[in-house]
Amino acid sequence: MTFTISAPPHKKENITFKKIMWAKVLALMPVVLLSVYLFGLPAIGLVAASIFAAIATEAAIQKAFGQKITIADGHAVLIGLMVAMIIPPEVPLWIPMIGTVFAVGIGKHAFGGIGSYIFNPVLAAWIFLSLAWGSIMAPASYPQTSVLFELVLENGAGVMAGVSPFFILLAGAVLIFRRYIEWRIPVAFFVTTVLLAFLLGDSLSYVVLGVVVFGVLFIATDTSTSPTTKNGRVIYGIVCGVLVVVYGHFANYVDGTFYGLFLANCVASLIDNNTLPASYGTETFLQRKYRSIVSKMPFKDRLEVFLDD
Amino acid sequence: MTNVYVMEKIPEKIIIPLKQHDGCLCTPLVSKGDMVAMGQKIGECECYDSASIHSSVCGEVISIEEAANPNGTKVNSVIIQPTEDVECVDFTPVKDVSASKLVDVIKDAGIVEHYGTPTHKVLKPEGKQIDTVLINATSSEWIGGHYDTSAQYAFQMIGALKLLMKAAGASKGAVVLRNDDLESISAFDHLRVDGKLLTVAPLMGKRKLSYYFKDQGSDIIVVSQERIYGQKILDLLTYNLTGRRVSFCCDPTDVGVAICGVKSAKALYDAVHEGRPYIETVVSVSGKVNSPKKILVKIGTPFKDVIDACGGYMGDTGKLIANGAVTGVAQYTDDVPVTKMTTSITVLSADEVIRDVSIDCTHCARCVDVCPVDLIPSRITAFADQGRFDECRQMNILNCVECGRCSAVCPSKIHLLQLIRYAKNSIENAYEDLSSKESPANLKLGCGCSGGN
Repeated sequence: MTFTISAPPHKKENITFKKIMWAKVLALMPVVLLSVYLFGLPAIGLVAASIFAAIATEAAIQKAFGQKITIADGHAVLIGLMVAMIIPPEVPLWIPMIGTVFAVGIGKHAFGGIGSYIFNPVLAAWIFLSLAWGSIMAPASYPQTSVLFELVLENGAGVMAGVSPFFILLAGAVLIFRRYIEWRIPVAFFVTTVLLAFLLGDSLSYVVLGVVVFGVLFIATDTSTSPTTKNGRVIYGIVCGVLVVVYGHFANYVDGTFYGLFLANCVASLIDNNTLPASYGTETFLQRKYRSIVSKMPFKDRLEVFLDD
Repeated sequence: MTNVYVMEKIPEKIIIPLKQHDGCLCTPLVSKGDMVAMGQKIGECECYDSASIHSSVCGEVISIEEAANPNGTKVNSVIIQPTEDVECVDFTPVKDVSASKLVDVIKDAGIVEHYGTPTHKVLKPEGKQIDTVLINATSSEWIGGHYDTSAQYAFQMIGALKLLMKAAGASKGAVVLRNDDLESISAFDHLRVDGKLLTVAPLMGKRKLSYYFKDQGSDIIVVSQERIYGQKILDLLTYNLTGRRVSFCCDPTDVGVAICGVKSAKALYDAVHEGRPYIETVVSVSGKVNSPKKILVKIGTPFKDVIDACGGYMGDTGKLIANGAVTGVAQYTDDVPVTKMTTSITVLSADEVIRDVSIDCTHCARCVDVCPVDLIPSRITAFADQGRFDECRQMNILNCVECGRCSAVCPSKIHLLQLIRYAKNSIENAYEDLSSKESPANLKLGCGCSGGN
């Protein structure tokens, strides 16, 4: 009888990078559908053009450099989708295409591909487009959540990410619950933003927007551009919140989210290097409680890895 | 209570490796063609860091040769063909022995901790003084079934702890249970030791064992803590329980702590009260076999026969693993014997074999979230991959308990455990000949252990 030999562990969780990426794409679908309802068919064209350009760029770059073509892992699709979601739907189709070519080509691959880029490609593309074609990129309207229903469907949204704070929050909550994205950054970020905006006297109707929630849950949690240490992630969330409020207070919270997060990306590795845990760490009361709660969470992909040794 | 089955069938041949511990090889006392009795000593230890080897069956020695060992290497082994009639060495209980004699009893009975160190070396390390003996029962579910009642288990464990303390000359001892192992906790609760009532105390917050010794006013206590597991948990266990940090190149005995397992405690109890050497062990067989169970087998039984006793393989077999699916060693043949260090056998089917391809780290920090000792596995692994071992050491890589959780949760399927082990081995190798390096110089590069507290 023949047996396979390999190094331990011999059992692993059934979680892959690909799965996480496609889960994020899927989680954003309700918002895309809502924006088709709000903005009409051009929204579909925007998303399609953007995703197509992202995939084509990734395939072309990897082909040209003789790398393994990884379009199936969904990262390029996610970048394409996210870029489409943060530009106004009325723009001509070449805008999202140039944006995603920049995102994938410069934002991602020029820095070394997944895991190596220091600026979120989606943000890089948005800033590139805003600087180059400022007049086209200005949204038709800046939203304000004046009635409660606008949390579900925001009529004044200027971009697709802004159409529904509620559905983005729901998608993010599901992803956090499945542990596809982690919770420290979003929580620290959101609490800081709301608290600071309140202290500065900004009306919360300008703060609780789809775009801000999108930034909190989908852009700030991008794993390559955020710190890895536990404390570092909390600090990063606070830094994001402060920067977003600084921009938002003096301009608007839609642009503020993107510029603030882009600047926060710059300090992510600085935070990471300065929050390395001590030997054996020191676990506080709250951390212990958190672990006991998490261990009770149902998680489909968790094998019984931890239970049988 | 878990049932433990006794393997009745005597296998066709028994393979007894002459080294079932970390240390030097034993010299065989028998030669080809000799008849041996059950319990007869067949391997004599010559240096202090090895333990005697006994025959677990009665039979004829058919050869002494290099044979496959569950740790993946080949070890000189005595191969015995059991005979029909069972001839057994007379086991004589040793009662009321002195402490120094007790160490010899342990050594002669061939008792070895499941992590490899001979028990007598844990209790009486050369040039070190032990003041606390711990029995680590946090990962032992099988134990209940080895005894008739759980009260007997508790009673024998306390008895073994007293013997261990006596042998080590230690003043304090503790049995460490697992928080969720309610059966064992209820067994130990309200047990009377030396007229004092025992209470199982859960370890809370930053309190260490010293607090509980004082709190209960007793030198023998039972505490419970969360489950920890891994290949190298001793340092973490020592820190958790006593607050003493074990430095690099040292083990818990350097800070005055001896950690024993339940199996060796049981073996010691049997050795003293029945005179029986360590020739049987309980193995839990799990995975794709027809009837997974915990089974009492003789040391030296090939895995093949153990699996047959559990109903044989189920379907296509992909992997055979000794000592757990998370950190164990995959075997290339089922002709390897059960040794004193074998605790479990796991069989995986062909489609359970992992064939993932690693991609780049995406810094998702899932490994950071699961690490029980607060490391940054992703970063350490990147350094290890580049051979930057000094940086690994600065990041406390030596605290790693090798539990394998980081590898298990990695979405990029990076071989974190393997890379961390590689770095740890490289660091340890670099310091192996430290004493010869430092002796001619005036420098002292020692590890700085102060020997307790």
